[in-house]
Amino acid sequence: MKKIIAAASCLTMLSTPALAAGSVNVLTWEGYADPSFIGKFEEESGCKVNATYVGSNDDFAPKLMSGGGVYDLITPSIDTTALMIDLGFVEPLETDKIAGWKNIYPKFLGLDGIQRDGDYYGMPYSWGAIVLMYRDDAFQTPPTSIADLWNKDLAGKVSLWDDKSSIYVAARRNGDMNIYTLSDEQIAKAREALVEQKPLVRKYWATAGELVDLYKAGEVVISNSWAGYQSSLLAKEGIKVTEFVPKEGAEGWMDSWMVVKDTPNKECAYKFLDMQLSELGQCGVANVNGYSAVNPVAAKNCMSPEQFKALHQDDPAYIDSLMIWTALGDRFEAYTNAWNSVKAQ
Amino acid sequence: MTLDRRTLPGLIVLGIPLLWIVVFMLVPYGILMTYSFWVKSYPSFKPDFQFGNYILLFTDPQYVQVLWRTLKISLLVSLASFLLAYPFTYFLVFRCRWQAVRTWLYMAVIAPLWVSYLLRAYIWKTILGTEGILNSFLMSVGIISEPSDIFLYNQFAMVVTLTYIFIPFMVMPIYTALERIPPNLAEASSDLGVGPWQTFLRVTLPLSAPGIAAGFTLTFCLSFGDFIAPFLVGGPDGNLIASVIATQFGAALNWPLGSALSIVMLVIVLLIVSLSDRIEKSSRTGGT
Repeated sequence: MKKIIAAASCLTMLSTPALAAGSVNVLTWEGYADPSFIGKFEEESGCKVNATYVGSNDDFAPKLMSGGGVYDLITPSIDTTALMIDLGFVEPLETDKIAGWKNIYPKFLGLDGIQRDGDYYGMPYSWGAIVLMYRDDAFQTPPTSIADLWNKDLAGKVSLWDDKSSIYVAARRNGDMNIYTLSDEQIAKAREALVEQKPLVRKYWATAGELVDLYKAGEVVISNSWAGYQSSLLAKEGIKVTEFVPKEGAEGWMDSWMVVKDTPNKECAYKFLDMQLSELGQCGVANVNGYSAVNPVAAKNCMSPEQFKALHQDDPAYIDSLMIWTALGDRFEAYTNAWNSVKAQ
Repeated sequence: MTLDRRTLPGLIVLGIPLLWIVVFMLVPYGILMTYSFWVKSYPSFKPDFQFGNYILLFTDPQYVQVLWRTLKISLLVSLASFLLAYPFTYFLVFRCRWQAVRTWLYMAVIAPLWVSYLLRAYIWKTILGTEGILNSFLMSVGIISEPSDIFLYNQFAMVVTLTYIFIPFMVMPIYTALERIPPNLAEASSDLGVGPWQTFLRVTLPLSAPGIAAGFTLTFCLSFGDFIAPFLVGGPDGNLIASVIATQFGAALNWPLGSALSIVMLVIVLLIVSLSDRIEKSSRTGGT
């Protein structure tokens, strides 16, 4: 028995050499573990942060499915969090270990996607809207509606996110506002609308960088976009774009940190979560990605009044006006299949 | 004992490639095959034995449509590569008198293979774009007055990019085939009073057929499995079969359907390889 224990402890020492120093492996979006604020965390906590980046919410499940033990923390959006719980990839959070927890907007803590059977599985982190965006010099009268994405005068200058969310856009254009509970007929109608729009589309954008390139190269003048992110990248390039919430409303997203089941780096993981909800993490992501913070108390302390207002931190009604992404559950396939068949055309 | 010592090297020489084939080809194909009979069931998928995935592939028009498009694009890429590569290699082998020039020209075709694939595909974006090099050139010489968007983000752009990327795989086998043709055959043909054009059609071209078949197979199969070009330079109508497979393994989380698609793709590729093998063999027997 002693031998086995000795051998086992030897093995653990061999397999996790970084444990002594402490480390945490995160699978996340670009900017969520940016050196600009992670550096300070590593210094103070002694936990080394190894970040791997995803390009889409669809990357989390395949990455975790092909074998565990690699990542400790993930940050799926609120339409994917429930899937992570259903797949058994994540474990309940010990929320009392996270200092800023009670300061999170109640609206987000009330969302179904991050809880199950009275336990929280996701720690809200940042949020924003999926707005429409246009190039200022291409419009005399600013567009105001989703219908402008179907405007024939803009043929070859339109772009749309290569994502099932295109169904949400098309459904709203058809007047179907229940975008997360569409019936088969409504999805079919949305699909038709997207097929009709196809000749106007220059390219479906897959990554934020690609959309920036499309605007920069003059290929597109109107698209949907992640509020605050691509527009700020374009502003740095000297290209003037304007974001707007169409009169049909905008979708909202919220990303949460989730702890991967049986992580060996729990201590560092919780230190990391605590930091991400503090001023350091909340303003870190706001400054790097231009996303809004979920902890308004921390945000108030570390943001300028202008930034606080620009990110709608002072305006809970704005959050309420967004159609926050919801898990589609077993309807997921109907949506993705419709979108794939549009792309197959 | 002595027998053992003698067979050991043989076993190693044979065993390593055999092991390689089993571990890196047969086992993965077996896994893929198994998955293809499973069934999608929220949240992921579960073991089963049913043909629903295959039936869906051939009944839902979206998959057939993409398959046809992929076949078309791959065929166009092979054809374009052939039309460009054959005259070029013919010139190199039979008309280019200076060995140094020949080597340089040959290297010029092969060298891009050493540059990252992604970079080479990316370059075409800057060439074909609305504000790209091609448009600036056409405007500066006065052929067009406004930048045109017809060059990028469509099937044309994909064919151009893939042709550029895969053309070395057409040049190399044709070069080898042409180099092997003894020059005295052409001389004999002209001694017998056959004109150069007829000599080409009846001697050189048939003798280079194995190289052409190999080139077609390589470029076709490589384009058939490509998903970077549609992502970078393809437009809304540029979805290829490999991108659909990627979607099934990623966004749709439907590994069974993705596996079934991969198996269908594998069968098509194997058919093409065996077809080209047959052409190669028949041309060899026909030549002698």
